Amino acid sequence: MKSKILALLGSTLLTGTAMAGGYQVNLASQRQIGMGHTGTGLVTGTSSIFFNPGAMAQARNGITIGASAIVSKIAYQAPDYSETAADNPTGTPFQVYGVYGINDKIKVGLGVYTPFGSTVNWGSEWYGRKGLNELSLKAIYIQPTISYQVTDKLGIGAGVTYTIGSVNLQRTLPIEGEGGAEAGIELDGDAKSAFGYNLGIFFQPTDKLSLGLSYRSKVDVEVEEGDVTYSNLENLSASARTNFPDGAQFAATLPLPSTLSFGIGYNATEKLTLAVDISRVGWSEYEELRFDFTKPVGGNTTSASARNYEDTYIYRIGAEYKVTDALALRAGAYYDETPVQDGYLTPETPDADSRGLSVGLGYSINENISIDASFLYINKKERTDEANLSNGVPGTFKSIAYIPGFALNYNF
Amino acid sequence: MKNFVYKSGMLALFAGVLLTSCDPEIDVAEPTSGTADFSSYVAVGNSLTAGYADGGLYLEGQLSSYPALLAQQFQAVGGGDFTQSLFTEAQRNGTGYLRLVGFGAPAIPGGSPTPITEAVKTELAIRAAVGPNPKLPVFLYTKFTGNVNNLGVPDMRISEIKNNNLANPQNFDPQTGRALFFPQFERVAATAQQSYLEYVQANVDAAEPTFFSNWLGNNDVLTYATSGAFSSTLTDVATFQANYSELIDVLTANNAKGVVATIPNVTAVPFFTTVGPTLKAGLKAKGIPAIAILTGKTATRVPLPVDNIKDATGGTALIPLTASAYIPLLGAPGGKYWRDISKTAFPGNPTAGLQYFLGTYGIDTTQAFGTALNPWPSSLILDETEQAEIATRTTELNNIIKAEAQSNNLAIWDANAYFNSIQNGFTRSGVFYSPAYIRGNLFSLDGIHPTPRGQAIMANEFISAINAKYNARIPKVDETQYRAIVLP
Repeated sequence: MKSKILALLGSTLLTGTAMAGGYQVNLASQRQIGMGHTGTGLVTGTSSIFFNPGAMAQARNGITIGASAIVSKIAYQAPDYSETAADNPTGTPFQVYGVYGINDKIKVGLGVYTPFGSTVNWGSEWYGRKGLNELSLKAIYIQPTISYQVTDKLGIGAGVTYTIGSVNLQRTLPIEGEGGAEAGIELDGDAKSAFGYNLGIFFQPTDKLSLGLSYRSKVDVEVEEGDVTYSNLENLSASARTNFPDGAQFAATLPLPSTLSFGIGYNATEKLTLAVDISRVGWSEYEELRFDFTKPVGGNTTSASARNYEDTYIYRIGAEYKVTDALALRAGAYYDETPVQDGYLTPETPDADSRGLSVGLGYSINENISIDASFLYINKKERTDEANLSNGVPGTFKSIAYIPGFALNYNF
Repeated sequence: MKNFVYKSGMLALFAGVLLTSCDPEIDVAEPTSGTADFSSYVAVGNSLTAGYADGGLYLEGQLSSYPALLAQQFQAVGGGDFTQSLFTEAQRNGTGYLRLVGFGAPAIPGGSPTPITEAVKTELAIRAAVGPNPKLPVFLYTKFTGNVNNLGVPDMRISEIKNNNLANPQNFDPQTGRALFFPQFERVAATAQQSYLEYVQANVDAAEPTFFSNWLGNNDVLTYATSGAFSSTLTDVATFQANYSELIDVLTANNAKGVVATIPNVTAVPFFTTVGPTLKAGLKAKGIPAIAILTGKTATRVPLPVDNIKDATGGTALIPLTASAYIPLLGAPGGKYWRDISKTAFPGNPTAGLQYFLGTYGIDTTQAFGTALNPWPSSLILDETEQAEIATRTTELNNIIKAEAQSNNLAIWDANAYFNSIQNGFTRSGVFYSPAYIRGNLFSLDGIHPTPRGQAIMANEFISAINAKYNARIPKVDETQYRAIVLP
């Protein structure tokens, strides 16, 4: 049964527009989104599989299924030209977690979640069309996990992440046609499956205080035999067309960076829980975006542009207040630094330091069934960049996103 | 009660978030003319200003000339109408131009394909053929009458702005039969005796410009350079100073503000950088260590070691684009080059011209081309000494341009610095630009004049200079709307 649900989710839902730094999507649990996506220093329930496998040993047996809908818009102003907006398809990152206790000390779990991805659609008319029309990047992590309660105060856990993904990139060719629609290129490919890991330690020195440390490793997503296809090639002259032979394939690698998180949880009262998290994301792995072609495309067998991302920190705070035994209200905020240095902005990820503000609620329908709802508002700083080091598109970008989400929990 | 406060607080927060405007917005400062007034704009210059491209002046090039694009952008800050001496639609190909029709086999095995160009000869604006030899005529173009704002005239140079014989279609050198007038100036001048300075004065009187651009001066060094320092001359500093100053006085007489541009490093254009590497590789492939060349305007022969030809690996000697027709002839007897140059230098009597050249330079066309008795001609090579001479003069003339601009409080676009800065190319919005022939997107098929895309990029550089000087905010041109070279 569970595997059928997983298959269904995987095939019908899109991963989200990247609304965290770079192409990271930090929407791993509806309860935690409501709390500013803190959770490394808490027992978050089944989603500890993601936040801190070390805390999973204390989670109740159960299954969680949740999803968010990212409604995002990006405004673009070319350097002193007219304005464009990217109307992005609604992204729907999702999460499924199941936890089961083998005995008092050991619990096993399986998580399926989407920590990276991006969908952005600028269309084929805008100023930067030769840089990008559309990008869709998807990554799904499947993580079997085991957690062990070493002592009353200390838990450890580890999981293996199995990653599948795909990329689709479309742009207008920088070649002059003889009139008619401009010719375009589309790169489309599925990634080879890749493995990584997720480790966590959870420590509760007192009844009120808990600390957590977790590390999710880098995963390189590799496309080996992606398809290169063209559109409107007939509008190019015969000699120009010969630069774009049929049947070319591409190879590319994209790093999904490591994340090291430290979190603190504090039960201020019986009803009020406070949490803070700091994460360091190893973005510096992303040095260049490089495509290798099996046949020359536009006369070149490679296309490389520098990215030179920087490692970044994310700072989060969150709170949950139990109004009644059944109802919990949540709020949180975070500040997420951009990994994109000046001069390297691209229309794929027109990134800037972003501010997130969230609210949420949880409601227990009965002993076994509960729901979580969240709403996250993300506002990225307006950013003007020459984009002269990244083959990007110069101009000013401003992104905001509204992300409602819902999850169903079944505990037993 | 506490619950109520909490719940309503949360609701208020929710509502507040939802009510925030749904779409992101970027605040853009309104365009402004700053301290300048763009209501009447005139542009002074040469072929670059006229919109000349692909070896000719034709309607498409005129419409995408940088002054036309500037005038279009000035509209956002109070700019007025801008008239150009456009060819009619029926005569849209103007003087004729080069079109890329295909690519031939690489000149050397493994090299780049050789572009094949063809002259466009239909829909021309030719009204008459003049000159002493009907077989080698000079064409006169359909007259354009009326005042214009774009005063760009191909061939014009600062040294000649007071010459009263440049629009005179009877002005031929009696000895050689070579035209000494500029047919494209004859096309627009009011009378055969009008000088360029008078032409500028007349149009300034009519337009009463509040703003001008002046990018004249390139031909004062370029014409000498493209001839391989064989014909033409570098304008002397004193003449340039006097004439430039007089021209600026005419333009600023009504307190007009303006922008001037410097002379680019004329040897960094594809006209000089495309053929040399091919020649070098070709000679190396054949194992020829050196060729004999003529130098300067003398009959002196010197050896040119192959390594001296400039390519990416080194060397200094530049080979002009015009040499590409003669490279395949190296090593075989013949005098094609001398027959060709006799037609352009002595159109009145090419046979006499050929004898003159062969005699003066001691050419034996029965010998292999490229050897001491039949050397590679001086006009097809620009050596290190000649380049240094041109560079020095360019700097001297640019210093005059900058000093004049400063003393008249004008904006300066330092085109020399700009083109030096892009020698290795740059990427803008997913398109790579460089000074490379054809694939660099900036330069047209003549290797000297920009493509419409190149004109748009230059217009944006002008706008940056104007905005900075006059505290203006003139919107820039979307260069992606203008074409680069269309491949056949």
